[in-house]
Amino acid sequence: MKTLRNPVSRVSRSLVLGAVAYLSLAGNAHAGGTTVRGTVKMPDASRSTRLYHGYWRLENGNVPVQTAGGAKAETVVVLENVKGAHPPSARTITIELGGLDARPRLVITGPGSVIELKNTGKVRHELSTPEKPEVMHLETLAPGQTRRQRFDAVGDYVIRDSEYPHIMICVLVVGTTYFSAVDDKGSFSIANVPDSTATLKVWARGKWVAEQQLETGSLGKEELTIKVVSQREKEKAEQEAKAAE
Amino acid sequence: MFLSKIFFILLALVAAIAATFAVIAPRPFERRMGTLEGQRLDRAQYAAEQMFKVDAHKWIDHVGKLGRDAIIAESLDAASRGSGEYTVIHRTIQDRFRTLIPDLASGGIDSIVALDTKGRVIARVGENEKEYGDYIGGAEIISDALRGYLSDDVWGVNGRLQRLAAAPVLSKNRDRMVGAVYVSAETGPALVERLKRNLDVDVALLLRGKVIASSRGPGELDALPDLLTRHAKEIETAKRTQPIPMTVGKNDLIVVAAPFPGQAGEQQAFYALVGEHPANSGIAALFANATSDDLKWGQFPWLKLAIGMFGAIFVGLALQRMEHDSPIGRLRRELQKVASGDLHKVHDSSYGGKVGGLARDINAAMERFTHAPTQRSDIAGKDLNAILGPSGGSTFDLPASDSAFSGGDPPPAFAPPSAGFAPPPPPSSSFASPPIPSFAPPPPPTFSAPQPFNAAALGFGGSSSGGGGSSMAAEETHQDPIPLPGATKVSMPWGQSLPSAPPSYEPPVNSDGDATRVVPYDAEEEEEAHFRHIFDDFIAKKRDCGESTVGLTRDKFLQKLRDNKANLVAKHNCRTVRFSVYVKDGKAALKATPIRE
Repeated sequence: MKTLRNPVSRVSRSLVLGAVAYLSLAGNAHAGGTTVRGTVKMPDASRSTRLYHGYWRLENGNVPVQTAGGAKAETVVVLENVKGAHPPSARTITIELGGLDARPRLVITGPGSVIELKNTGKVRHELSTPEKPEVMHLETLAPGQTRRQRFDAVGDYVIRDSEYPHIMICVLVVGTTYFSAVDDKGSFSIANVPDSTATLKVWARGKWVAEQQLETGSLGKEELTIKVVSQREKEKAEQEAKAAE
Repeated sequence: MFLSKIFFILLALVAAIAATFAVIAPRPFERRMGTLEGQRLDRAQYAAEQMFKVDAHKWIDHVGKLGRDAIIAESLDAASRGSGEYTVIHRTIQDRFRTLIPDLASGGIDSIVALDTKGRVIARVGENEKEYGDYIGGAEIISDALRGYLSDDVWGVNGRLQRLAAAPVLSKNRDRMVGAVYVSAETGPALVERLKRNLDVDVALLLRGKVIASSRGPGELDALPDLLTRHAKEIETAKRTQPIPMTVGKNDLIVVAAPFPGQAGEQQAFYALVGEHPANSGIAALFANATSDDLKWGQFPWLKLAIGMFGAIFVGLALQRMEHDSPIGRLRRELQKVASGDLHKVHDSSYGGKVGGLARDINAAMERFTHAPTQRSDIAGKDLNAILGPSGGSTFDLPASDSAFSGGDPPPAFAPPSAGFAPPPPPSSSFASPPIPSFAPPPPPTFSAPQPFNAAALGFGGSSSGGGGSSMAAEETHQDPIPLPGATKVSMPWGQSLPSAPPSYEPPVNSDGDATRVVPYDAEEEEEAHFRHIFDDFIAKKRDCGESTVGLTRDKFLQKLRDNKANLVAKHNCRTVRFSVYVKDGKAALKATPIRE
């Protein structure tokens, strides 16, 4: 039985992975070193391709459903504080908004980069960075219009569409070239990492979900397993810890 | 009267307690009703949530059936493969939708949309049905359908809420997906009315900080978005709120709100169930909310109330009769007897309380007005000279000294005239001896240093070194009131000095200084009564003048009067002496008037 893949998610995913791979190779071409690899295990609730659910989500019962792509595609691993790391070069990245989607939904770039938001669809979008309103205030992007936004400071920026909340564009302005996208199975690989202490961070669904300290020199061929704990599990663990005290 | 007063006080207390109960009693019930209303809203919210779930499933089933339609499946398969005329496919699907669902409005459907595997709209019916060819595959519910899921969602677009259900469309052989179908239903006033009808509560729908539909009056729930913003944390955690009190004008409301699922939840899309808080308690609300049923015989204890009310009236009347009507009637009958001559005075000792005081006053008045006038012709003159006149009658002023009784700084006591004091001219009165004072202007009196009361000098308490005659002569000559003996050494408090005086009885005040009040029938008894009257008058007059009465005792006062009277009788050879009280120089003073008959 042949399974069709969602073309939208396929395109989106390809763009993200392509951009991430390009940046990774371009940034790390100069050095030889350890390859940090591993698996990110997301909580069950985060494995969905949807950000928002209704009451029901049922399989059709005839054709196997596709579980790849969608919101789960935008997961990346970033190694920060690596000795000798430098930020990616600034550039201009175009994000197309059309078909009630944004392509790509995740951008990792260096400080000074410009994000060009182009509305290729037939509906207007109201875009802003609600958590950092000083960066991008709410503005309507009519069909055919383009909005440019420069990101100078290192940090994470989540651009939201208040009309279509599922449209979430993540702009990660990083100071390192050591990062990697996570595939459908949660695997990642960052090559040529110099021996150093580093902070491994996992970005998924619009926020940092995990953070871990590493000694890249001592990793060898060891594969990391990074378990992301859901907020509910975290709260439950905290409550249990309090109860134990 | 005492029992009547107690009864009325008790009655007032009972009424106050009853009123307090009437005001307080509804409060616990009001709170309880508020809690019950909150619980009712809780249940209504649960029911609404279940209703939304069932609705969503119903829509999914519905759209799933559409997706299984062969014509639609074949048309979408052709569109996805790019075979066939695109416009024809569009019309084919539209017609098929209209055939399957001829009346969208009756089904509560806004639109039905068919898409190919790329997320491109092939056909629409209902809203914007002329538009097609646009891509909407980025919407999560659509991409989910193209992945093979049947699901639902709620959107908040263009200020409207829409509930959606989408399903994949499988090929004729059910081996692959060829597209998707979704239906949308506006979630607005129609849903609000339906919820209100089914749940019997007011409903409001909110989207992005605005009330977009409400079963209450326009603008009535404008404060609701802010209220829910304040409970955002609670909503995020519990996916609902506890009952929240809310005041709108004069209405106290209770609100339970919950977010819509799906991406509308991210857009502050809530449904709020609104209940009325039970009416305010209070007397006005109590009467406003009472119905005629509450006053029916079976509902209200009329019999107990009537028994209580008539019992209270009976007790009140009985007490009034016992303490007021009956004694007054008896007094009246006695007075009638007095008037008819059967009684010469009222039996005042048989009455208690104020009626007793009234009876005593009546007796005193009768004594004065019945008997005194016959004798007053001899003594009524205020002018002592006129009373005693040429026949030798004389009046002796006996000025009272405040200090003499109060123990304060004694005023100059009137000293006996000095040796050089000229004797008065022979009196023309009938008093043989001693001669009646001439009442000529006296020489300036010589005041000694302040000293305690000198009874002898004042004519009270017998002779002194100067002799009774000289003392009286001085009094007669000067016509000055003789300060009443002070008895400054009296240490007994005033209040304890009159144990026999009835507490409520106020002796009549002889304010005009009339000479005599009582003409005795029984000489001794009546004279004692006269002295008591004088004492009472004197006390009253001193009080009127603002003088202190501390240290002034009845016994000593009466004894002084007796002594003084004896001296005067002996001196003037009169039958008796009448005293009277008057005011001189702002102070109470006494006069003595000899009575010859």
